[in-house]
Amino acid sequence: MARDQALAAPPKVEVNASHRYGALVVHEQIRFKVAANEFLCICGPSGCGKSTLLDMLAGILRPTGGSVLIDGRPADPKRQSISFVFQEPSTFPWLNVRDNVATGLRIKGTPRAEVDAKVSETLRLVGLNGFENYYPHQISGGMKQRVAIARAFATDADLILMDEPFVSLDQPTRERMQGEVLDIWRRRRRTVIFVTHNIEEAIFLGDRILVLSAKPARIDAELPVTLARPRDPLSPEFMRLRADCLKWLNPTGADAGRARAPASPQD
Amino acid sequence: MDAGPMPLPTGGEAASGSGALLSRGVITVLWNLVSLALVLGLWQLAAFLVASPFFPGPLKIVDAFVQLATRGDTYGHSLLTHSWASIHRVLVGFALGVALGVPLGLLMGLYPGIYAGTRAVIEPFRFIPPIAWIPLAIILFSGLTRFAFLIFLGAFFPIFTATLVGVARVEPIHRKVGVVHGAGKWWILRSVVVPTVLPDILGGMRVGLGTAWLTIVAAELAGGISTGLGRMMINYAELLQVSHVIVGMLVIGFVGFLMNECLLMIEKRLFRWRWQVSL
Repeated sequence: MARDQALAAPPKVEVNASHRYGALVVHEQIRFKVAANEFLCICGPSGCGKSTLLDMLAGILRPTGGSVLIDGRPADPKRQSISFVFQEPSTFPWLNVRDNVATGLRIKGTPRAEVDAKVSETLRLVGLNGFENYYPHQISGGMKQRVAIARAFATDADLILMDEPFVSLDQPTRERMQGEVLDIWRRRRRTVIFVTHNIEEAIFLGDRILVLSAKPARIDAELPVTLARPRDPLSPEFMRLRADCLKWLNPTGADAGRARAPASPQD
Repeated sequence: MDAGPMPLPTGGEAASGSGALLSRGVITVLWNLVSLALVLGLWQLAAFLVASPFFPGPLKIVDAFVQLATRGDTYGHSLLTHSWASIHRVLVGFALGVALGVPLGLLMGLYPGIYAGTRAVIEPFRFIPPIAWIPLAIILFSGLTRFAFLIFLGAFFPIFTATLVGVARVEPIHRKVGVVHGAGKWWILRSVVVPTVLPDILGGMRVGLGTAWLTIVAAELAGGISTGLGRMMINYAELLQVSHVIVGMLVIGFVGFLMNECLLMIEKRLFRWRWQVSL
């Protein structure tokens, strides 16, 4: 599998960081690596600092201790190519769909012809071709989120961070979008770090799942998902993984032997 | 039309057989013409009944208008000369107000510390009406400079304040979209802050234009010049020529209305992305 050969290569992302806001410790020396082209899901209870972690990965928040390295260098949005899909609606209402999707490319100073080609290609990929000239207020919430996803995948960013991007969508839209993201990820070969509090979503999407504890956040468990895609949420293997994850998320009766926990100083 | 009651009443907008053929726009224009004709008719009737030289009817006004437009006033300045003099002064002062109000509003909106630290200097000026500056302006400046200064004072604060308030409307998430993709401060200003604040700026400009227009007439009434709509009105008021004074008033109303319509048209073009343009 591609993942196996990728793991042998130097990691795309290497995190060994702590973060605190004043006396509030958000992350207590959190440590993990992400291989190139890996789809990593990070799962944790609400308020465990997932968004803080993503901000550190995006390089817009410096960890107060340790480091976040991307390709061996500290994360910095100006020097590295990172894209971000936000949980809340983030399209620019004053730009039409085409210009919204082109935003990331234009910031990077991509030549005009290339922007046009990449934007129309990505719009086809997310099924928004034909909506180029629509403004966000003219399309549905699901389509707006697809615009945001297209904006992230249109750039050459080889690291894409997704912060609960489907949380505001209804179930059928959500499922369709999960399939679409997997499809784009497979075709474009990018490294994705996907944060969610939805276990099924994490198991459905990820190559690997990191389970975070409540604040101060630590990595409670690391669960590789080896099920073949497309995954069937009703299969026994899926259910077993789900039970494993739940055990870590609800620590009552947690069984440390079931899941492989990373070697970190706290453990 | 001779048919009985419609089987399915569909509310106030449902038109009868002939009305449905006309678009809503045409109906609006027709209603405006009807109300205008009604007012003019009543005015003419009242003028006829009062029969005083100080209460001219619309026909007298038209006479005065034609006379001012073709032959000019007692000094030979035509109505166009007077109108253009006023418009020119307004545009210069207004442009100054925009050129200073927008950048200062953006700066102080983006760096609230600067605003907080200078409030005691800026805010009291807002409460000195431009008209209260006229005596000082007469002493300090002459000609176009005087008018540009006064109109600037009138236009600046609505534009500055609207811009300042508008900056607070910038969504942190929109800024973050830029930052995570590696955008610098300049990109965020140009591509996030300005598009967000632009509707407020345009709104402030419409208010500022109103103030500017109000100020110019007052400033011209104060004298010291020979042209301008305000000047023309004062001249005729001294001659007790009421019709000519009213022509000046109507031209002021009409030009102000046209300027506002121009700004509204710009808004409609710029803000197609919004649900609707508010009036």
